[in-house]
Amino acid sequence: MSEDPVGSSKPMDPFEQFRSMRDAYLDSMAKVMVDAVNTEGYAQATGAMLENTLTVSAPFREAMEKSMLQVLQQLSMPSRQDFSALADRFSNLEMRLDDMDAKLDRIEKQTHAAARTDSKEESATAPDPVLKARAPRRVGTKASAAKKRAAKQAQPNKRTARKAKR
Amino acid sequence: MTDQFSLLEERLRTINKVMTTKAAIAQTPKELVWTLNKAKLYRYIPVVPAQERHPVPLLLVFALMNRPYILDLRPGHSFVEFMVSRGYDVFLLDWGAPGPEDKNLKFDDYTMEYMPRAIRKLKAITSVEEFSMLGWCIGAILTTVYAALRPDDGLRNLMLLTAPLDFSNKQGLTFARWTDEKYFDVDKVLAAFGNMPGEMIDYGAKALKPVENYVVNFMKLWDNLDNPQVVESWHAMNTWVTDNIPLAGGAFRQLIVDLYRNDRLMKGELMIRGQRVDLSRLRANLLTVIAEGDHITPPCQSEAILDKVGSRDKELFRVAGGHIGIMAGSGAHKRTWPHIDAWLGSRSR
Repeated sequence: MSEDPVGSSKPMDPFEQFRSMRDAYLDSMAKVMVDAVNTEGYAQATGAMLENTLTVSAPFREAMEKSMLQVLQQLSMPSRQDFSALADRFSNLEMRLDDMDAKLDRIEKQTHAAARTDSKEESATAPDPVLKARAPRRVGTKASAAKKRAAKQAQPNKRTARKAKR
Repeated sequence: MTDQFSLLEERLRTINKVMTTKAAIAQTPKELVWTLNKAKLYRYIPVVPAQERHPVPLLLVFALMNRPYILDLRPGHSFVEFMVSRGYDVFLLDWGAPGPEDKNLKFDDYTMEYMPRAIRKLKAITSVEEFSMLGWCIGAILTTVYAALRPDDGLRNLMLLTAPLDFSNKQGLTFARWTDEKYFDVDKVLAAFGNMPGEMIDYGAKALKPVENYVVNFMKLWDNLDNPQVVESWHAMNTWVTDNIPLAGGAFRQLIVDLYRNDRLMKGELMIRGQRVDLSRLRANLLTVIAEGDHITPPCQSEAILDKVGSRDKELFRVAGGHIGIMAGSGAHKRTWPHIDAWLGSRSR
């Protein structure tokens, strides 16, 4: 028994030969054309063609622009130049806004940096919580002072008491 | 026969869908944190807990003339999603589409007005003074100029992807030939259009490889219409490729005159807001990623930067692929992304 050859052979394509001939022809044409466009002659010919087109079309273009400008003026409508000038102004405004945005960013950065330095300084001047815990406690500091102040306030002032007697 | 017709009908319906609709792109959750004119700074919502995240945020800066969602193309195929899942705090600077009023915007404005402001906001949000930056294509020019002009601004890591910085090899640069002053009058073009139209930029990029971009690309779709994965990928990429935006006139003039024609950045002659851009002042850790098959920014444009910068830690990483393919192609998640993650991860601690 021989193995099934299905999958190992391609179905016959009647156009395959035509396709390979076509590809070979296009390959050779491509090379010829690449050489052709790379010559001084081609550059000269396309340059002359462009030059002629621009020279011939220039008077029509100018006449068209002039008449269009007149029509737009008659209709009180803005021309291309007006729009261009307006676009320039918009661009300048955008740049100003961008400059302001940059300044704001810088200020924000500086503020953050300053805030960070302040918090660092504070933490540097504040006593170390570990050392504070280890330090011997002084007896009768803030709490006792407050008590004394309260007792003093509670005692009647001698001078005012004497005045009241009189 | 009926089967053949229904198959053909199905194929035509798929083609119609992918050519006329936009794929669901840029789906990684994000929040808008800053705007200026058309520019927007997005922060991607982190998915990794704060204590496991890299402390140095990452800012992505893409090119001026394409949409930046190529970095977040679709779920499962998104560089942003990958980096967020690897624990980076990812920000994206989207330049937006310049209008006629922005025709005078130059590299000076982008690097000295927009980028410093966006980076200040990034720092304010993350409360971190250091950051990493990834610049791709023209975004790599902007990040390089910024890094050289403000070396003390906290930039720790700089990654440049397919960076067009060296314009000395004129023979190797098709764009340099096309925009040579003999054939291309940059002032006349800008007088006509104000900004460089997105369609013209798109044509320029596609015309470098016309057969691939205008024929082979569609043939690939036709051949794979039965493969939903390929169709989905093609749809997403087509959405991005056809979403063109103009390049501000002032920046386009600088790109052509200062860089393509006079190579001022590499010569150390590029002036930005009156300051000379001295690449030796760039000291951030540097990773330059080069696409070996890049036809828009050939490898010769990104190699010389390593000898010019003042960085001690610098690396050149070559990947097989094209200008976009190295970051958004099917092999990007196997080659480019893991290398960027490994390089940046070890330098973001």
